[in-house]
Amino acid sequence: MGIFSESVDVVCTPSGQPLRLDWAGQHYTVCAEPVRWYERRQWWAEESRAPLGSGPGLVDHEIWRVQVRAAGNHAADSTLTLDLTRHVGSGRWRLLRIHDALQPLRKPKTA
Amino acid sequence: MNFTHLHVSTAFSAHYGVSWPDELAAAAAADGATALACTDRDGLYGTVKHLKACMGAGLDAIVGVDLAVFDDDGDLRTQLGGRVVVLAHGNNNGAGYRALCRLISDAHARTTGKAGGAVPVAVTRAELASRTLHPETLQPVLTVLIGPDSDVGRAMGGRRYLRPRTLFKRWLDAMPPGTLAAEVVSQLSPPGEPLSTAHAVRMLKLAAEHEVPAVLSNAVRYVAEDGAATADVLDSARTLKPLPELSAAPLLQPNGQGWLKSAAQMLQLGKEIIHAAGYGTADLKRLLAQTEALADRCRMDPMADMGWKQPVVPEGSVIGIDGNALAELTLRCEAGIGRRFPGISGQQEQQMRNRLLHELRIIDSLGFASYFLTVAEVSRMILDMGVRAAARGSGASSLVNYLIDVSQVNPLQHDLIFERFLSRDRATLPDIDIDVESAERHNVYRKIFERFGAERVTLMSMQNGYRARGAVRDAGLALGMDDGEIGDIAKQLWRFSARHFREALEEKPELKEFAGRVEQRDFTGNQQLDLLVDLTERLDRLPRHISMHPCGVILGDATLLDRTPVQPSGLGLPMSQFDKHDMDPMGMLKLDVLGVRMQSAMAFAVREVIRLHPSKAEVVAAGAHPAGVDGTGPDYIAEDGQIDLNAVPLDDEPTFELIRSTHTLGCFQIESPGQRELIGKMAPKDFNDLIIDISLFRPGPMKSDMVRPFLEHRHGFAPEIYPHPDLKPVLQETHGVTVFHEQILKTFDVMTGCGLARADEFRRALGNEVLEAKVEEFFRKEARARNYSPEVVDKVWGTLKAFGSFGFCKAHGAAFAVPTYQSAWLKAHHPEAFLAGLWEHDPGMYPKRLLVAEARRLGIPILPLDINRSEAEYRVERVESGPDRGRLGIRLSLNGIFGLSGAELKRIVAGQPYDSLADLRARSRLSRPSIQRLAQLGAFDSLHRASGGAANRADLVQHLQKLQARPLRKGVDVIEGQLALPLGDVELKNLKALLPAPSMVDNVRAELDLMAVDVSEHLMTSHRPLLDRLGVTTADKLLGLRNGTEVLVAGVRVATQTPPMRGGRRVVFISIDDGTGCVDSVFFHEAQEQSGSLLFGTRLLLIRGTTRRTGPRGISISASMAWDLSRPETLPFPESVAGATGEYAPDLPGPLDGIGRNLAITGLGG
Repeated sequence: MGIFSESVDVVCTPSGQPLRLDWAGQHYTVCAEPVRWYERRQWWAEESRAPLGSGPGLVDHEIWRVQVRAAGNHAADSTLTLDLTRHVGSGRWRLLRIHDALQPLRKPKTA
Repeated sequence: MNFTHLHVSTAFSAHYGVSWPDELAAAAAADGATALACTDRDGLYGTVKHLKACMGAGLDAIVGVDLAVFDDDGDLRTQLGGRVVVLAHGNNNGAGYRALCRLISDAHARTTGKAGGAVPVAVTRAELASRTLHPETLQPVLTVLIGPDSDVGRAMGGRRYLRPRTLFKRWLDAMPPGTLAAEVVSQLSPPGEPLSTAHAVRMLKLAAEHEVPAVLSNAVRYVAEDGAATADVLDSARTLKPLPELSAAPLLQPNGQGWLKSAAQMLQLGKEIIHAAGYGTADLKRLLAQTEALADRCRMDPMADMGWKQPVVPEGSVIGIDGNALAELTLRCEAGIGRRFPGISGQQEQQMRNRLLHELRIIDSLGFASYFLTVAEVSRMILDMGVRAAARGSGASSLVNYLIDVSQVNPLQHDLIFERFLSRDRATLPDIDIDVESAERHNVYRKIFERFGAERVTLMSMQNGYRARGAVRDAGLALGMDDGEIGDIAKQLWRFSARHFREALEEKPELKEFAGRVEQRDFTGNQQLDLLVDLTERLDRLPRHISMHPCGVILGDATLLDRTPVQPSGLGLPMSQFDKHDMDPMGMLKLDVLGVRMQSAMAFAVREVIRLHPSKAEVVAAGAHPAGVDGTGPDYIAEDGQIDLNAVPLDDEPTFELIRSTHTLGCFQIESPGQRELIGKMAPKDFNDLIIDISLFRPGPMKSDMVRPFLEHRHGFAPEIYPHPDLKPVLQETHGVTVFHEQILKTFDVMTGCGLARADEFRRALGNEVLEAKVEEFFRKEARARNYSPEVVDKVWGTLKAFGSFGFCKAHGAAFAVPTYQSAWLKAHHPEAFLAGLWEHDPGMYPKRLLVAEARRLGIPILPLDINRSEAEYRVERVESGPDRGRLGIRLSLNGIFGLSGAELKRIVAGQPYDSLADLRARSRLSRPSIQRLAQLGAFDSLHRASGGAANRADLVQHLQKLQARPLRKGVDVIEGQLALPLGDVELKNLKALLPAPSMVDNVRAELDLMAVDVSEHLMTSHRPLLDRLGVTTADKLLGLRNGTEVLVAGVRVATQTPPMRGGRRVVFISIDDGTGCVDSVFFHEAQEQSGSLLFGTRLLLIRGTTRRTGPRGISISASMAWDLSRPETLPFPESVAGATGEYAPDLPGPLDGIGRNLAITGLGG
């Protein structure tokens, strides 16, 4: 598993679930029901301010684990499991982790 | 749709909850909720505030508690098996609420009430089960929620299937049917962790398997997301572990989702859980319906269930009446007339009787007769104990109180208004406060419990919230900062609310250095200081713990403990979980029995006077009292010499002479630097002046500049101005300035004819944003209708408005002025006994050592410690020899010597007198360090002289030190004990004279170290050479200087005050003592900037400033700069110091050595 933090463009359903995403010039569709949770941050080490009224997003961040398949690729084993996080203030998405399923797919590209 | 939160902790869950009840209620109401629960941890600490907030927001209140349960398998005294939420059912005439109160009292019954006790607050499952049913109908009155923090919930982790089921089954077996529900919570933590959706699903399924209703909750700790970080810091403060450590454990909340989510968000959560469980829409509906059904069952009726605003007083039978309470009260008032108004007749009698009738009518219409009888009963009980007691507060406005001996102030004489105390328009129980001798307070409490029965009495508690120092400490702990660093920062925080920390950093000179370090963060990468400021602000005001209120005692009938949970106080007596704000809403009768050290000191002084002068003639002679009618002395001195302080007439000229001299150190209320300045300016002539003086010296009058015009008018510098001739009778006594509440009431009444009762309601509305406008409208309309000109109306309204709510109730002032006068009277006539009383009971704001200086100033000899003459208390003694022969002196007491235990003290006193050290060792069994300390303090000097030995104190100390080095076996003591023959002290006699006698500096150092008092000589004396060279002026010389003279003064800090001032700019008063008296200095803004951190941290100060004449006998210093005298290198006089160093250096380590510890004792420390 690799740890990344790069920007991704995500299209969501009206209820806020990720539906499709663009990452590294490639289109992906979410192919299984995503799982969502909130994960604690070590805010006392990561932030320099925590004033009253800072609002949400200081103590935790929202994580979505999605299974995606690259557009046009219908092979059964070509899915990727990604952990995405949505920044509270800007609403922008970042890619946090790529799970092991990535390796076979990426290797040919980078090799 | 709406959703009811059933599990909510408020800020009153100390070190756990974040949000205040009114914030929570407002948020719930805004979201359309119809009810809201308050389930604080371990008690009903926030319940009454919650009830009030819910009523205000239009919600039904649900009340419950979050309680730990003992582990049935573990040690039932200490091991816990998780926490459950217990909710009271409502609309059952209080059966649910009653059971909840009793259950919580059960949970606290085994604890000690002291911090760090081994027994946790918890109930056994059996206790819990026994409280859940109505004792008669056997219907359920409580519901227990088994949630994520219960033993069941905690066993949900991992892949264990059986364990949670076994535990859940146990609950089912133990609890009566219909009293259990499963609490399903998902805070969307990572899958598989506590508070995750997966755990919620397991709980939901467990409930379904056993057909137990499941309810949805969010286990709320804060009203909105923003509170999550505060909750983290509170977790750290509760566990005393820094955040990084807690996070690794992991003991922190898994994320920040424990907030009061909206109904829509809770529905969404419900959907996710149901979906994850593989259930359908019907199941979701059921989950939500069960939640609302339980909520409905628990809606409280504030009146019928909790007794909202229904005053309850002890049953008549308990206070010894069997008939009508009013008839009894009337009877007792009649009996009082003869005592309080002997020989009254004619118009005066008519006036007095009219007033009495008026008061009794109001008391009758409110049904408070038994309340007055109860207070009278307590008051009589205290006096019967032989304890001094005096009513304080607005209760002094009542003639009834005066007649039944609750108060000592005649309200007719001082024109006090009954309506300020009680009126038909205000049906809250009035406050009557009784001051008693502080030393007897706990005995008085015990006696009240005994007299009324433990089921009717409990102590009131108080909430202790975070203030700046505590907040910065706990914030620093959370961030894992260094203890020492945090301690240094905390020390600089001086009386501002933590909420304004960042603001204070910019403004306060003493924080300049710290502010600079926060600014530096960009360069050093030290982000912690910035976070520290934010977290400190977050903690501001949050409750930390409850403690016994310093004076509140709650009195009720036999049902009191059904209406409030109680827990042990540090004193051992039970304490209610409710604080003073909860009393009126809960209809609780609170009596303030306040321990006042001054009362103890005065009682002590009176006893000393009679001990020394056991007859009337001797007391009259010693105190220079007037000869009285028959020439034998005044009536208030009994034949045996007993002085009845309360009977002393309030017009004694020597007493007012003393007050005007401003030498009022030790006198009640008028000893502070600010007060002495005011007294010097005002020069009080009679008792009413004293009332005015005390009332003026309040934040309100000081802030709103009432003092200056008052003084100008009083001394005739400016003509008195009245807004209208009609108001002259109202304002005359204060020369046209409005000082008293009573004057506000009369002003309203004169100009609008509203009557005094309504006038008091209007006064209460002043300063209230909503109500004040209505009062203004009424006032303007009615006053105009009575033909007051618009200018007059404008002017008067301006005064009323500015007065706001801060003025002072004259009745308070009058009640305060009584002990003020009495203490000044004692100081004027019996100064030795009075000072001994002050030392014994330490009532004032100053350290004891300043009163030693005062004794020196008065020429009262202070007699050294003596093993055979000193007792456990300070004693006035006639000096037998030396230059002071025949005078009265004060003998130091053995009490308060560092390291001398209470048991040792008792044994010394029991065995007195001793003829030798051996005798002392044998019979008092003193520890060696104690003997050595006594020797250092010179307690054996007289024994030593008697033995005829040639050695000195230093030799003896060294001798004792050597003895200490060789451990003696027990047997030796026995042999020594047998030597108690009249041989004199062989040990002392044979002591070799080897060492030089200790210097004065050595002796003073020992005294400061061991007693925190410099008796032999003032501790500044050794600095005198340097000070003389610097040209420092001493306190006794200041009065001779012209106004505006530039001077240097130096001394030991004795007091620091920062009273609020006009314009909001802080002014710091620092008083120093230089051995010749006290110098009061004022630091205005610029001087504060100049002096920086010296303002609060430094003990020995050199101050430059100009003299400021404050009155005929008063002078103070307007400071421009201060230095730390103990660091001569920082002093700005290079030539003087350079010249001085040679001589000065040997003196420096003198009396200041080892002063660190006792400065903390004396309050001199930073």
